[in-house]
Amino acid sequence: MTLLLGAFTIGLILALLAMGVLISFRIFSMPDITTDGSITLGAAVAAVLLVKGHNPVVATAAGAVAGAAAGALTGILHTKFKINALLAGILVMTALYSVNLNVMGRSNVPLMQHTSFATWGEQLGQKLFRAEYIDLAGWRVASGDLTLLLLSLLAATAVGVVLFLFFRTHLGTAMRATGDNAQMIRALGANVETHLILGLALSNGLVALSGALLAQYQGFADAQMGIGMIVWGLASVIIGEALTGSRSLGVTIIGAVMGSVLFRLLVAIALRWGLDPNDLKLVTAVFVFAALVLPGFAKKLRRVPSAA
Amino acid sequence: MLSIRGLRQTFNPGTVNEVRALQGVDLALADGQFVIVLGMNGSGKSTLLNAVAGTFLPDHGKIEIAGHDVTRWPEHKRARLVGRVFQNPLGGTAPNMSIAENFAMAARRGRARGLTWALSRDLMDDLRARVSTLRMGLEGRLDNAIGSLSGGQRQALTLLMATWLRPSLLLLDEHTAALDPKSADQVITLSDEIIRREKLTTLMVTHSMQQAVSLGDRIIMMHRGRVLHDIQGAEKKRLRAEDLLDRFDEVRRREQLDEPAAALLQELYV
Ligand SMILES: Nc1ncnc2c1ncn2[C@@H]1O[C@H](COP(=O)(O)OP(=O)(O)OP(=O)(O)O)[C@@H](O)[C@H]1O
Ligand SMILES: [Mg+2]
Repeated sequence: MTLLLGAFTIGLILALLAMGVLISFRIFSMPDITTDGSITLGAAVAAVLLVKGHNPVVATAAGAVAGAAAGALTGILHTKFKINALLAGILVMTALYSVNLNVMGRSNVPLMQHTSFATWGEQLGQKLFRAEYIDLAGWRVASGDLTLLLLSLLAATAVGVVLFLFFRTHLGTAMRATGDNAQMIRALGANVETHLILGLALSNGLVALSGALLAQYQGFADAQMGIGMIVWGLASVIIGEALTGSRSLGVTIIGAVMGSVLFRLLVAIALRWGLDPNDLKLVTAVFVFAALVLPGFAKKLRRVPSAA
Repeated sequence: MLSIRGLRQTFNPGTVNEVRALQGVDLALADGQFVIVLGMNGSGKSTLLNAVAGTFLPDHGKIEIAGHDVTRWPEHKRARLVGRVFQNPLGGTAPNMSIAENFAMAARRGRARGLTWALSRDLMDDLRARVSTLRMGLEGRLDNAIGSLSGGQRQALTLLMATWLRPSLLLLDEHTAALDPKSADQVITLSDEIIRREKLTTLMVTHSMQQAVSLGDRIIMMHRGRVLHDIQGAEKKRLRAEDLLDRFDEVRRREQLDEPAAALLQELYV
């Protein structure tokens, strides 16, 4: 049960990453690999500030802002310096690896001894449930774990709602159009370059926020924690679309959250059944490949009989 | 309203693909003038409209719209003054967004876009009223993705979007060329209606002689990046489609004469 609770919580924290990837990949049609660097950046900045004794809110916000700056940088490289979108992301991601090591001063910063959202969550749990362990439909669960799950759910919901509302404002609507038909929105007076920079900043800000929260939940920030995270995000978005079968704005956001949680549960189960953790990234990559290719393949299969 | 002086544009200069698309265009449009642009393929019609819209910044020349020198303005800044409908029906709308959302963006053409609600109730009411004047039954489908509509419906909506806020200048580049004859007629009628009612200064490119004689106050015929003929006033009113065809034939004859003559000169002097 603790395992399941943990998988749910991490899934919800990584839902912020999934929503970030949803922005870059679906709204701007740009697989933005900056993600791998900015999730670690968010974790690193938050961790270092927490170690210095700063308030978790401040530390987490600082992590998100740092990620937004990294995303904006990728956007600037792409739009102002005309570097291919993928390459711009690769450059920033590579640079961030060194930046992250410099921020942390070493490759791993443990947070167990420091006050963070995790500590706050456990204290809140004690207060709410007045016990270390409580009974949840016959399962014995730590009240702290349950509280952290609820807090993650709250965070994912809040971010999802804000994102939904933002993309229905004049600015957000025009940003969506940038990915849909850049020529059209330019002819209507929008600065497409600014929109892309803003969009990537928003995307990576969410990714870094996810990293900052993840570091606090798992109790450490690590220089390697970002590797392959873009693929995780993609997997969540794709699962979400398969689950909801829709491309409308609100539903894709909910889908990304559901996709992230489901994907994390699948991973937890696979690991429990003896999947070698070293194979995890390979399996994820194959999964995303299949998810990207199969729909088109299935369409072709269905078309063949009617043609014959 | 529009003033163009000495406009020149060469694409891929100094390469084998060099194209002198505009070779000195001078043109002035009075306020409310509706001008038809004719010319053979490759004569520079679209390049002229794109230069005015700011799709590229020209090599030489000056462009003024409504008293603003816009020569160095980027495209998105000129959008405040310019409404456009493209040849491709897919060009002027965001296909995966709803009709209403597309209009919400058009309602802010060239203005600041802030964090206020895009689909306000006022906009929706206004939109239903104006879309119903198209008599296409689209007012009940404002939440549908615009990509699900036919080309003719999309061009009609794009036209409505381009003129939602009254533009100082309207640019139409063969905006009915990709449509079936019936839809093309509908969109042309609608264009004429809107242009007349709002007294819009307009540049409209077409290949249809019929449209050229029946619409507009003035015809300019482009040839090799220049304005070859400029027909207005009483002459335009009298003009028949045959007269225009004669002028095209003349251009074609001159073209055929030109080529061997140029080759001869080259042989003699180079
Ligand atoms: N971006 C560009 N790069 C290179 N060449 C271009 C570009 N745009 C236009 N041209 C060339 O400039 C010339 C004029 O093209 P333009 O599109 O203005 O012709 P047009 O009069 O609109 O013709 P059509 O009736 O076929 O639309 C053509 O030879 C074209 O190939
Ligand atoms: Mg053309």
